[in-house]
Amino acid sequence: MNEPKTVAFKTLGCRLNLYETDALAAEFVRKNYKIVDFGEPADLYVINTCTVTNQSDQKSRREINVAHKANAHGVTIVTGCMATNYKEQLEKNEAIDYVVDNQHKTSVLAVAEAHFNGELVDINHFDANLFNYSPADTTFHTRSLIKIQDGCDNFCTFCIIPKVRGRATSRPPEDIFENIKTVIAYGYKEIVLTGVNLGRYQHGAYDFERLTEEILEIPGDFRVRISSIEPDGYSESFFRLFNHPKLTPHLHICLQSGSEEILLKMRRMYTARFFKDMAIKLQQMHPGFNLTTDIIVGFPGETDDQFGETLEMMKTIGFGHVHTFKYSVRKGTRAERMEGQVASHEKTQRSEEVRKLADEMKLSFRTSFIGKTQRVLVEKIRDDGTASGYGEHYVPVVIREHGLTANTFYDVMIEDILAGDEPTLTGTRVVETN
Amino acid sequence: MQTKGKHRLIDIRHLTDSTYVLQMERNGLQFDAGQHILLGAAGDLNQREYSIYSGNRDEYLEVLIKEVDDGDVSKKLKNITIGDYLQVEGPLGYFRLDTKLVPDKKFLFISSGTGIAPFHSMVKSHPELDYTVLHGVRYGYEGYERSHYDKNRYIQCTSGDETGHFHGRVTDYLKAHPIDNSTICYFCGNFKMIREAMDILEKKGIPHHQLHAEVYF
Ligand SMILES: Cc1cc2nc3c(=O)[nH]c(=O)nc-3n(C[C@H](O)[C@H](O)[C@H](O)COP(=O)(O)OP(=O)(O)OC[C@H]3O[C@@H](n4cnc5c(N)ncnc54)[C@H](O)[C@@H]3O)c2cc1C
Repeated sequence: MNEPKTVAFKTLGCRLNLYETDALAAEFVRKNYKIVDFGEPADLYVINTCTVTNQSDQKSRREINVAHKANAHGVTIVTGCMATNYKEQLEKNEAIDYVVDNQHKTSVLAVAEAHFNGELVDINHFDANLFNYSPADTTFHTRSLIKIQDGCDNFCTFCIIPKVRGRATSRPPEDIFENIKTVIAYGYKEIVLTGVNLGRYQHGAYDFERLTEEILEIPGDFRVRISSIEPDGYSESFFRLFNHPKLTPHLHICLQSGSEEILLKMRRMYTARFFKDMAIKLQQMHPGFNLTTDIIVGFPGETDDQFGETLEMMKTIGFGHVHTFKYSVRKGTRAERMEGQVASHEKTQRSEEVRKLADEMKLSFRTSFIGKTQRVLVEKIRDDGTASGYGEHYVPVVIREHGLTANTFYDVMIEDILAGDEPTLTGTRVVETN
Repeated sequence: MQTKGKHRLIDIRHLTDSTYVLQMERNGLQFDAGQHILLGAAGDLNQREYSIYSGNRDEYLEVLIKEVDDGDVSKKLKNITIGDYLQVEGPLGYFRLDTKLVPDKKFLFISSGTGIAPFHSMVKSHPELDYTVLHGVRYGYEGYERSHYDKNRYIQCTSGDETGHFHGRVTDYLKAHPIDNSTICYFCGNFKMIREAMDILEKKGIPHHQLHAEVYF
């Protein structure tokens, strides 16, 4: 019998990419490929790239080189957003065998199989389909990511996503329900709804609220998390869904800036005032809610005062985590043609200020859990025998006990916090629930 | 339903030296008034967003464009010949009327320059609309096809001459006039005008969920 072929995956960027790599990896396993660590010699490398910032482009290029160094004779398939944005340029790179754009990403296995069969491969002859991934039974994570939507029609002036992910498209609800039931049957205890612009989910009579509501009614012992969402596209009544015990009290809503003027220049679909009112309402309805966000510093024309408004907004709302991006020019976007590009050192300084404030807020938010319970889904058993995972608020927790089982829920009394870059709660079990 | 395809140019109307209307085949494209399309000359990779100017019952599709001095697409589109093809993708965007509110509410449309385009479409698509259009331009001759609006509902604000209904910017007009707090307000044009106008209206007590903006640049 032939030795199974080896394949190594690398994912850069967003949750959607993670989902898509998981799904691809599972397909390769079903076809008898053996997955090896990225950087080890492999017959095939699949790099799922990102292009959201300059840095993402650089990282993606670095990983292509890593693959080439690990096995210059291996086959390298580059897919994802950078592959879509710079297709022609990458096709000239001799370290890359196939550049598969997002439209054809579901065909990565078929491309590999055709190659190994000695066929001539033309990517455009494969099906273009955004949702044709089968549910993954084994993934690189404890959580099962579920893709419900792709693309975006917002055309924010800084953003390359509409170009590389295309227009907003929603997956049919029946497919989503089926996918979720399947992964629950595989044993997943947490599912994460994933897409580019979830709030704009629309399929027939289903909007995002109705879809989520029906997902929560699927029977089983699992919880539902919503990945990153834009502030527009859903109404306040959506927040009542967080009363449901299966929906975790955490949302990553992208603010981007606290300045009204910068938000308008970004063509965001909301005002700073709207965002603040919405955040406060959410926190009042669900005390302790973990609201996390993205912030872009150094958008063209951003003055010190406007940056100050962002810091003020952060303080008023008190985010549990902030992901900071230094604005970087993306070719073909409207912001590329704007005047007043901010100097690089200024962006670095602003991003440092955001980071410092964000770290303080994170520590204070997480400290507030001491003396409270968290329902922790154990992701792994650590080397010292204790267990780690995430509580429902998406805060990392170490359970200082031995003999616990991964992929199991435990109610944990939070007793302390371990400071550090990623402040981690620690505690002991209250009652075993499984 | 979004489509992507080639639409033949039927007519071009030059309203001023720099501003023109492109009329093209509709090819069944369905849209809500206020939405925009991505438009470019067929075969040109550069495309830009343009609000749909025509009404949703018109047989054709129209856009209102101002040629921008250092611009690329707005210049190229001005020189396109009747019968040539345009690349159109859309409709796109969420700038549209909440049609449930149309029967009972007053609408205030605040625009600068070609930012009047989506309101032209809204007015044409909803003849029953109780609206006022505020149109900010430099000179009176920039009242692009003002006869298409009910003359009692179109207010031109001219900042460069005194030929408009109001001499000054739209923001000066808003400061100087009372506005009913239940009015639904839409803004379209450059971000500075929108920012100032929103501020004025918020200070006048109009709840921010009644304010909707489409930023061109
Ligand atoms: C959603 C949306 C809808 C739009 N609808 C319209 C429309 O209906 N009609 C229209 O003329 N434009 C509209 N625009 C602007 C349009 O997309 C282009 O930016 C504009 O035509 C200039 O394109 P360009 O390639 O020639 O120059 P660009 O490189 O795009 O712009 C160069 C500069 O011109 C200025 N500018 C851009 N648009 C205008 C304008 N309309 N008037 C005066 N100065 C401008 C800006 O300072 C910009 O930085 C819209 C923009 C958006 C985002």
